[in-house]
Amino acid sequence: MGIMLSLQKVTKIYPGAGHIKAVDELSFDLEEGEICTVVGPSGCGKTTAMKMINRLILITSGKIIINGRDISRLDTIELRRSIGYVIQNIGLFPNMTIGENIAIIPKLLKWNKAKIDEKVQQLLEIVNLAPDEYRDRYPNELSGGQQQRIGVARAMAGDPPIMLMDEPFGAIDPINREHLQNEFLKIQEKVKKTIVFVTHDIDEAIKMGDKICLLKDGRLVQFASPEEVLTYPKNDFVADFVGGDRTLKRLNLFTIKRAMKDNPPVIHQDETIDTACNMFSKTDTRYLIAVDGEGTLTGIIDKHGIPDKATRVKDAVAPTNAWLTAQSSLKDGLSEIFTHDYGFLVVVDDVKKVLGWLHTEDIKETLKG
Amino acid sequence: MTLRVLLRLVKRLVPVFLTILFIVWLYTYYGAWDYTIKNIPEFFKLVYEHFVLVIISMFCAALVGVSLGTMMTRKSMEKVSSAIMAVVNVWQSVPSLGVIAMAYGFLPLIGLSGIGMVPALIALFLQAVAPIVRNTYAGIDSVSKDVIEAATGMGMTRKQILFQIELPNAMPVIAGGVRTATAIIVGTAPLAFLIGGGGLGFWIFTGIALVDTGIMVAGAVPVALIAMLFDYCLSVSEKFLVSRGVRTNEVKMA
Repeated sequence: MGIMLSLQKVTKIYPGAGHIKAVDELSFDLEEGEICTVVGPSGCGKTTAMKMINRLILITSGKIIINGRDISRLDTIELRRSIGYVIQNIGLFPNMTIGENIAIIPKLLKWNKAKIDEKVQQLLEIVNLAPDEYRDRYPNELSGGQQQRIGVARAMAGDPPIMLMDEPFGAIDPINREHLQNEFLKIQEKVKKTIVFVTHDIDEAIKMGDKICLLKDGRLVQFASPEEVLTYPKNDFVADFVGGDRTLKRLNLFTIKRAMKDNPPVIHQDETIDTACNMFSKTDTRYLIAVDGEGTLTGIIDKHGIPDKATRVKDAVAPTNAWLTAQSSLKDGLSEIFTHDYGFLVVVDDVKKVLGWLHTEDIKETLKG
Repeated sequence: MTLRVLLRLVKRLVPVFLTILFIVWLYTYYGAWDYTIKNIPEFFKLVYEHFVLVIISMFCAALVGVSLGTMMTRKSMEKVSSAIMAVVNVWQSVPSLGVIAMAYGFLPLIGLSGIGMVPALIALFLQAVAPIVRNTYAGIDSVSKDVIEAATGMGMTRKQILFQIELPNAMPVIAGGVRTATAIIVGTAPLAFLIGGGGLGFWIFTGIALVDTGIMVAGAVPVALIAMLFDYCLSVSEKFLVSRGVRTNEVKMA
């Protein structure tokens, strides 16, 4: 993968008032298919930096290179058509239907009608809105979340290699925002665009970014992966900005799979209680994980909770909710561990087959690195 | 289903039917039929003149009003436009009769005739252009800045933004301006007679002068009908010009 976007000592000075540098010698390289979240306190120049890429704001000095070409040599209109643009307030065109909104760039690029229709259909499917239901509706008939999905679809319509997103989920309520973020990450898995994503929310920056570009007063403070920013914040400002709970935030970056132990004390539910008691004494645990013939989780047996009459494991098993899939985040895992009394969590796959188990100690180990 | 369609049709037709009934009664009561039939060639000439007055002044006002209003929204015109707006606002408060009288008094000073159809057209035009300029300016100005930013950032040219985004989104407001202008024009057109501009005002003022209600009704009723006709035409054309996505309730009802 080559470098798709490169900023080289990009500087913006607004004329007047003391020649304040809104962006000061900002440099970073972004590889193809990466999301770079630009984050910082308000007034740090993050939006200015982004808008210089599609020349909505003109650069004072420095260079921006897209795919090996200096953008100052490109035609502004053509440049913008090759860059997807999503803004916070969505800005769908109220006079056009959803279909027309998405089709606008392909139309400007003079694609033929069949190709445009196909693209609209495909994009509506990607953003999870039924094409036949939504194509001919107008923006004012959609909810904010739906509108922003159309905003994203519209920005992708011209097959731009690069997308700029200016706080795209900022105006959406927290529940829908999280939903849209997850959905967008799934879309990104498929489309692999190079994205500059401006946000003021450090949690969003950590979640969405392959790289985080942290700005303060127009200067680059740290440019690194979320894990690095959280683990090795460059200075007090960064540490402060990512928050005192930065270790907890790192939990979001790992999946359970990475931390779990894959030798849980498993017992078949048709075994006799004696076998179970043998295992208890051998393994020195209080709990056993019961499975059926397919290895699917059926419940947990408590050493001190075996009924007197029980002969088979089946009779002693208590059903349990203390399980999560291996793809879940460590944060969810930790939360789940604390919710239940077992002190651990059963890790399963998509069909609830037991894969391993997770203790708080495992999480600690993972965070230590 | 068919019953509902039928009911809607009846609901629409009843006011039309009642209006026609009222007009027939008015005509019969004041003997306007006789006068109209006796003077049928003159009737058609006056109707024709009336249409010419309304349509030409309307057309010019819409053309100039929308163009000027649009130009005023361009960035380079920012300073000029506030001055133009001030003039337009003052101008709109001048009553129609005053404008007609001013045309009569002022046009000779610049070497034009103050009498006839041309001064009447000029006066009507000047009256109608103000609301169109004002609404066009306000309409385009009210298009959301986010929408414009999105369009610019996506790589639309200024011309494309104007014709595909700004004007269509301002259309409900512009259409409102055109409607106001039409109301002003059909309301003022009968006064054109006073400066020799022709039109159905001839019979109205003749009727008043002769204290002959029949003649007056013979002129006044067609004027009212023409006004309704234009209003209807406008509401139909609005359906085509204003996108469903930007239609306000007011326009939907019309």
